[in-house]
Amino acid sequence: MDTRQLIIDTAEKIFTDHCQKSLLDAAEQGAFPQDLWDKIVENGFHQIGSCGSGTEAADLYAFLKVCGRFSVPLPMAEVLLSNQWLATGVTASKTDFASIGRRNGDSINQVPWGRKATKVLGVVADSNKVLVMDTPSVNDTGSNLAGEAHDTFLLAGTEREIEVEESPFAQMALARTNLMAGGLQAALDLGLQFASERSQFGRSISKFQAVQHSLAVVAAEVAAAQRAADAAVDALGTDRFIDEVSASKARVGEAVGIVAEQVHQVHGAMGFTYEHRLHHFTRRLWAWRDEWGNEFYWQAKLGSRLAAMGADKVWGYIATRG
Amino acid sequence: MLQFDRVTLDSGSEVLRQRVRDFIADNQHHMPQPNSDFVTGHDSEFSAKLGEQGWIGMTWPSEFGGGEQSNFERLVVTEELLAAGAPVSAHWIADRQSGPLLLRFGTPEQRERYLPGIASGQSYFSIGMSEPDTGSDLASVRTTAVAEGDAYRINGTKIWTTDAHRNHYIICLVRTEAPSENRHAGFSQIIVDLKNDGAKVRPISNMAGGEDFNEVVFEDVLVPKDRIVGEPGNGWQQVTSELAYERSGPERFLSAFRVFVEMVRICGDKPSPHQAAAIGRLASHFTTLRRMSISVAGMLEQGKDVGVEAALVKELGNNFEKVLPEVARLVVPDLSQLDPVKHKLFRDTFEETLLLSPSFTLRGGTREILRGVIARGLGLR
Repeated sequence: MDTRQLIIDTAEKIFTDHCQKSLLDAAEQGAFPQDLWDKIVENGFHQIGSCGSGTEAADLYAFLKVCGRFSVPLPMAEVLLSNQWLATGVTASKTDFASIGRRNGDSINQVPWGRKATKVLGVVADSNKVLVMDTPSVNDTGSNLAGEAHDTFLLAGTEREIEVEESPFAQMALARTNLMAGGLQAALDLGLQFASERSQFGRSISKFQAVQHSLAVVAAEVAAAQRAADAAVDALGTDRFIDEVSASKARVGEAVGIVAEQVHQVHGAMGFTYEHRLHHFTRRLWAWRDEWGNEFYWQAKLGSRLAAMGADKVWGYIATRG
Repeated sequence: MLQFDRVTLDSGSEVLRQRVRDFIADNQHHMPQPNSDFVTGHDSEFSAKLGEQGWIGMTWPSEFGGGEQSNFERLVVTEELLAAGAPVSAHWIADRQSGPLLLRFGTPEQRERYLPGIASGQSYFSIGMSEPDTGSDLASVRTTAVAEGDAYRINGTKIWTTDAHRNHYIICLVRTEAPSENRHAGFSQIIVDLKNDGAKVRPISNMAGGEDFNEVVFEDVLVPKDRIVGEPGNGWQQVTSELAYERSGPERFLSAFRVFVEMVRICGDKPSPHQAAAIGRLASHFTTLRRMSISVAGMLEQGKDVGVEAALVKELGNNFEKVLPEVARLVVPDLSQLDPVKHKLFRDTFEETLLLSPSFTLRGGTREILRGVIARGLGLR
């Protein structure tokens, strides 16, 4: 078995046992999931994709897909990418990790679990420079619409700047894309499971054509999202990277709206209750499609590039080998 | 779980791609108004030229005029021709569907007799499935073929038959046995020579002004017994596998491609944010659908059953083909106010494609049928 499959299988096993609904509920109330974090460090998941770990960047994104599939309430994208960017080997441990937010004027905001981070990095669009806060002090705590801890830091003037080779903003978008790809798969799986278990009018609702067609639409969107997410990962280190991330974040973001709507409809009132776990996935999907550039942002970025190439070059762009 | 593997085209395919592009550049006179819809553009001279290049029947054995090439190479040729808006409809069905059907189920004599003509781009086929009372419910087909000595006597009507008035043959799904409790039993496929067997062909115009539809009437049409494709009674199995060939190719998401090209042209090199987003949105779908189609070609290459995956690509692709003109028309505030000379191609291409678009989610299996196939693949039925 190859390394990537081993990572995926092990992560699935650990998250199945240790990332359940009660943990997600507690995390949303502000309880940092320390036990789960310890498990992640014990299994070396905190260093996937870092130099010297024997794993590569593509493994990192494959792992993030699994995190998305389980709604892991930890800033895994931020931990793993900051390891790479700081380029000092693995910076995370049981007691330390770095998180990443958007740099906006004199603040860094939307920092997942920033309050627990021992380093905070700030990223701005269209720049390869990343601001590093080595002794962050949280200014304001908050959360996104999924209830994920998102905190704000004011710049102190003591930050240092590092240069990241591949667009850090695009890497963050790619991380969200893979989290979404995982979350979309989970939403489909929940929809299929619910449809087969729920009975109305004396039969399983999975036997109703209207429900079957809804889930067929969901499956098609989920399949497209997986393929789109993989394509952008494959473009790492190539001159198409930003274009492929643009297409991928936009396409996967588009799938989110369709899938969340349809899967909620299949779940009926039950899926609208807090007690059901569906919302832990759909709310994250809705949050992630807006973070690090929404569909409009990335579509316009890609569209501007294609328009500059000219109408007679667009086919050549689409008909890429990979 | 449905899986669309990462498949990369090899460098050989890219050499071929350049050859196709050069060929298209040399044959621009065959495409005065490019259209990426595979049913539009009937040009037997162009089809014969493709046959000469070895670009029809590409994956078939050489003894039948085939090229013994991979599904990837075939995909490269197909997508380049469609993207350029080349006239491919004459040979399209024969190449994609009838040929592979004969190759898989036909008798040795049938393969020898029909395949070389298809591969040379000179022999064209129609599909004889739909009837006046038979659309998606193929098992309700009523046309009969009754054995009489060395012949079959055919009676019935096929309808919405593309190009029956100019194609050479039609492969009909017929009842060779009376209906029984098993509604899928008793069918056969039979080849009728449209020029010589006495079937009556009447044209049906479509709403886009096209005249490729026909009604084909069989009144005591006698054909020799050896026209039955493969085994008598095997029709249902054959026809369902035939439909799988036609579902995941580039023609299922590229039909509106030329509208996209002209839309990019009209937006210019400095598009507004709205225009840029419209272009980027469509491009993100194109690249994704194309990769999914290539994944399915990879599965075909490995001899896997692609029924569900192909249906899924068609479902996504056909919906996208219909969304594309809707997005394209909104990059300008008012189509009717565009410069009639400068922007003629955009308007003409848009209008032609919009008028064709209802057919996109009907032909080759309706949206409803495809969603049923996907649902079965998901274990829901």
